[in-house]
Amino acid sequence: MSLEYAEDRLWFAICRIEYPLSTFFVAGYVWMLVIPFPNLGRFTYIDENALQPGQVTTYFDWGNVHTADLYLAELESLRDSNATSAERASYITTQFKRLGIPAASQAYEFDASVGSLKGVNAYAAFPSPRSSGTEAIVISASWLSRSGNDALNLRGIATILALADFLKKYSLWAKDLVFVVSDGYLDGMQAWLNAYHSTLQSNLKAEELTLTSGVIWTALHIDYPGHSFSHLGIFHEGVNGRLSNQDLVNSFERIARSSGVPTVLYDHIDWRDNAASRAELEIIPPWVPSFLRDNHDVQTYAFQAKNVLRHVGYQARGQPSGVHGLFHQFRIDSFTIFAVPATGPHGFHAIGRIVESTLRTANNLLERLHASFFFYILTGPYRFLKIGLFLPSAILISVAMMFSGLKIWTDAGWVRDDSPTDSKTTTPQEQWTTRKRPVLSVLLVMVSTHIIGALVFWLITRSAVINSQSLLALIFLGVSTLPMVFVTLFPSPSAAVPTSSVLKAFSLCLASTVISTTAVLNFSLAALLAILLGVPMTSARRIDSVPIKVAVSLVYTSLAFGWLVWPQAELRSAVWNWDILGVWTAPFISIVYAPLMLQSSIVCLS
Amino acid sequence: MATVPTILLQILATFIAGSGLAQASSSSGEEFSEELQIRPLRDGRVASTFSFRTFLHGATPRSPESLGSDDKSQHYHVFPLALGQILREYAVTELHLSMNAGKWNYDEWGYPGELGVATGAELWAWMGEGGIYTVDERWSGLRNALSGLFCASLASMDEQRTTSPLMTFVPEGDLPNWPGPHLLRHASLPSEHVCTENLTPFLKLLPCKSFSGIASLLNPHRLFDADWHGMSAHVLWHASQGVEVRLSFQLVSDPLRQSSSKRRDWSFRSLFDRSIDNRCPVASSSTIDVKLPAEEAYSLEPSPSSSDGGIGRYNLNVDGHLPSDIAMRWPSEFQYPLGSASVPLVPLALQRTLTGASQANGHLAVRVQNRLNEELRVVYLETMPWLVQFYAHTLSATVDGRKHAGLISNVSYFPPLHHSRPTTFQAILTLPPKSTVALSMDVSKAFLRYTDHQPDAQRGWDLPPAIFVPLRNGSDRIDGHSLGQRIYTPTLLVDLATPDFSMPYNVIIFTCTVMAFIFGSVFNLLTRKFVVVHLDDQHKE
Repeated sequence: MSLEYAEDRLWFAICRIEYPLSTFFVAGYVWMLVIPFPNLGRFTYIDENALQPGQVTTYFDWGNVHTADLYLAELESLRDSNATSAERASYITTQFKRLGIPAASQAYEFDASVGSLKGVNAYAAFPSPRSSGTEAIVISASWLSRSGNDALNLRGIATILALADFLKKYSLWAKDLVFVVSDGYLDGMQAWLNAYHSTLQSNLKAEELTLTSGVIWTALHIDYPGHSFSHLGIFHEGVNGRLSNQDLVNSFERIARSSGVPTVLYDHIDWRDNAASRAELEIIPPWVPSFLRDNHDVQTYAFQAKNVLRHVGYQARGQPSGVHGLFHQFRIDSFTIFAVPATGPHGFHAIGRIVESTLRTANNLLERLHASFFFYILTGPYRFLKIGLFLPSAILISVAMMFSGLKIWTDAGWVRDDSPTDSKTTTPQEQWTTRKRPVLSVLLVMVSTHIIGALVFWLITRSAVINSQSLLALIFLGVSTLPMVFVTLFPSPSAAVPTSSVLKAFSLCLASTVISTTAVLNFSLAALLAILLGVPMTSARRIDSVPIKVAVSLVYTSLAFGWLVWPQAELRSAVWNWDILGVWTAPFISIVYAPLMLQSSIVCLS
Repeated sequence: MATVPTILLQILATFIAGSGLAQASSSSGEEFSEELQIRPLRDGRVASTFSFRTFLHGATPRSPESLGSDDKSQHYHVFPLALGQILREYAVTELHLSMNAGKWNYDEWGYPGELGVATGAELWAWMGEGGIYTVDERWSGLRNALSGLFCASLASMDEQRTTSPLMTFVPEGDLPNWPGPHLLRHASLPSEHVCTENLTPFLKLLPCKSFSGIASLLNPHRLFDADWHGMSAHVLWHASQGVEVRLSFQLVSDPLRQSSSKRRDWSFRSLFDRSIDNRCPVASSSTIDVKLPAEEAYSLEPSPSSSDGGIGRYNLNVDGHLPSDIAMRWPSEFQYPLGSASVPLVPLALQRTLTGASQANGHLAVRVQNRLNEELRVVYLETMPWLVQFYAHTLSATVDGRKHAGLISNVSYFPPLHHSRPTTFQAILTLPPKSTVALSMDVSKAFLRYTDHQPDAQRGWDLPPAIFVPLRNGSDRIDGHSLGQRIYTPTLLVDLATPDFSMPYNVIIFTCTVMAFIFGSVFNLLTRKFVVVHLDDQHKE
């Protein structure tokens, strides 16, 4: 008897899907925490045999370093004389022409809602001897460095000029070499790339390019803001979370390391390198006991977590981590070589040789890089996770959300009928009857929230709105009242299921679909959505007490649209990114994410 | 010391050769001449054109009517037999083959010595119609034969690449007055690379090979390191003179790249790493022409035997002293010209791009700048493999940014047929003086079957160059620019939708298929209800 009872209980537990579902949630979140784990993942390797990184003798010598120094002196005098964009571009094109490389400049002007931008790009196209010029490699440097604070990338530009002088002496280039010195930081290259590919951008007025070359396969962006550098950093995230083929990044990493220059991911210097770089471990909270703080594995975990968080920060926001990120949308593999500023020991000589060798490697390619090396998380310069090791974390949460939604949908269809249906039955049994579920009104609510999201997006991209804090706050107040409006407009029909259940079921299913489809395109965004939407949306439920439900609903509304008022800088940068670079984050957040949260808010309130 | 039998053999050989010559060329026989033209260019480079001409005086091309019957035997003295056999086997009247590497820079280098400078291989021929074989059958045979002769992949210029653009490729010689008409066949293969394996058979066609005369400068190590290099073979018929075979090799070398100092000085030693040590005994004339810079100080050693019209000429066959090495020097370092104000060398400036990031559609944009002070009419030819299809109705032309009607006339357009025929688009453009005409047309890119992809599928497909010919307008020259010469644009590369043929994707696709199959079967078994249906007697009836 007792055994039978136990079996019944077990069967009952399995039938109740909540337990496996919560396991899925826990497993998904734990998996995300495990991603920076030191022993997860593997060392990087070169998949494409044609690349042969570091197999060539490099010839960039001290004579070329001297040339670079001379260019640098002239660039510094341009900086000191506050030369205009046009003067700088004219100087650079003249230098290219002196070398016998056809060069031209391109003026552009962006008219964005956060303000307008203009500048002049300089570029030169070196037609490689003997080649048909159908393929090209771009070597670029922007006037401003990525390190911010208006730091100039003068040494990057000097490197490019010295390289142009040096590289044209060889007949071994199978692809044309295009040198681009873009104005500004991201804007100049965006204008140049749009003109190169004849892509129309409504807010951009740019001159057409008078010099063109073939299809660009590879691009290297050089960012060298300091006087010297100690490490070379790799920045590889592109617009909308696109990544460049890992083979290219790995090749560069291998070449740099074999040339005696240590590589790092971003500008995170390995904490073991010197005493000063122990600051990199500040990510470990102060309350962690010292025996853990000094544990090597914990330190590695903390350091790799820092790398992964930086990666997620760029990828989830769709923000390029450097000028190279603009190339990815045109199917060009690219990354930024960032010379981490230091007092030594490396300079033009090291970067020249490494770029020369990397170009030779890219020159070896007979086809575009195409192996499935586009989905990865680098946890360090030479450690990475394959897609199979991180993708399931977001997918598990998405699966859990989908099944919770389906369960709510099924449960909503049935109601326990306690009234005796048949007088003849002597033993009272549980009676389950079906009931109507209000699909149409729920769909109407969902569609209107997304339309409101689109409306908000339209509003924030108007320059009058984005530049006025009070208008933004007004919009936030407006959307905060929306859940009340919806609840009064769509009251639950008495005989049917409460609207809130069906709404919750549908929005959970939609959110789950969004997360799982985004997971392949942009894992970081999917993971962020899984964190932001997963538990909050699943735990949203109808509350009886009026003050509590209004308070909870307000919390959800602020989660949905709080970004309108805080943080402002983030909102402005998202709108700028959308206007100038076409980053999808701003529309995605306002049209997909915020309405889903708003639906949860309505669920709580109804 | 020669023995008696050897001498006898030599006499016999001379007799046979002589009689053969008498048969093949009815009147005065064969004549071989060689010529080298060297031009210093304004960007510091040096263009050299080697031409080797063989005349078969009084000979006529074979008529296609006689193809079924035995041909008369061919005995040549200096005329290349291997080529002659091919010409007669397929009754070719006029033939032009060129194989080039690099991009010809018209803006800095002007017109080339030989007009065919398209990147890759280009072959065109005029053949008479009639007889038992069709022109297309003979064209196919000709391609295969030349492919074997020059060790090139010309055989792949099949009907998917063959066009017949009459306005652009007019015969350079005369066409015999046969009963049937003459037809043109043209094909180009932009991905063909010219290299040593093509040069060796080329040299074999020369009477002195590369042992003596001008051809001894043809050193493959230097030729194939030049910025631009290409070889070509031309066969034409002149009604008054007979059949002419012209083999030529062109190259553009960069002395500045090879020298450590910034000097553009050149010599045979520096350009070719060879010198001319012997004359070619069978050459009736052997000359070297050096274009002399007009407004600069220079020195040329040894001094030419004659100079006329800015050209210094060395005659190798007349001079007592053989000028084994010629060197030109400038007193100062070379400065690249900074401005673009220099005099244009060709009447047109061209820019052609294929844009559009999508793999299904694209946009072909061509910018033609007329640099002359007069209106110019030019033939514009696009030949595209069927992979790229034009939307001819989207063709639009603007002049300096403004829409303009009536610029395009005489359009002839043959749309492509999948897997069989390329696109031919030919039109006449009217270019207003000193203006830029921008043409644009939408294109669609074909979706290939997976077996249609090349082995290097992710590289993309090379597209042939467009060709522009400024039409003669009564006179042959305007403002010192010669008209009627073909100008090629660079080639293009098109990305088609390409599956990832790499292994991980195969694994993913395979696994997905298996999963879908298993899921389908299991789902079917779970959801289908198996019921035994009893048929009663009524139904049985």
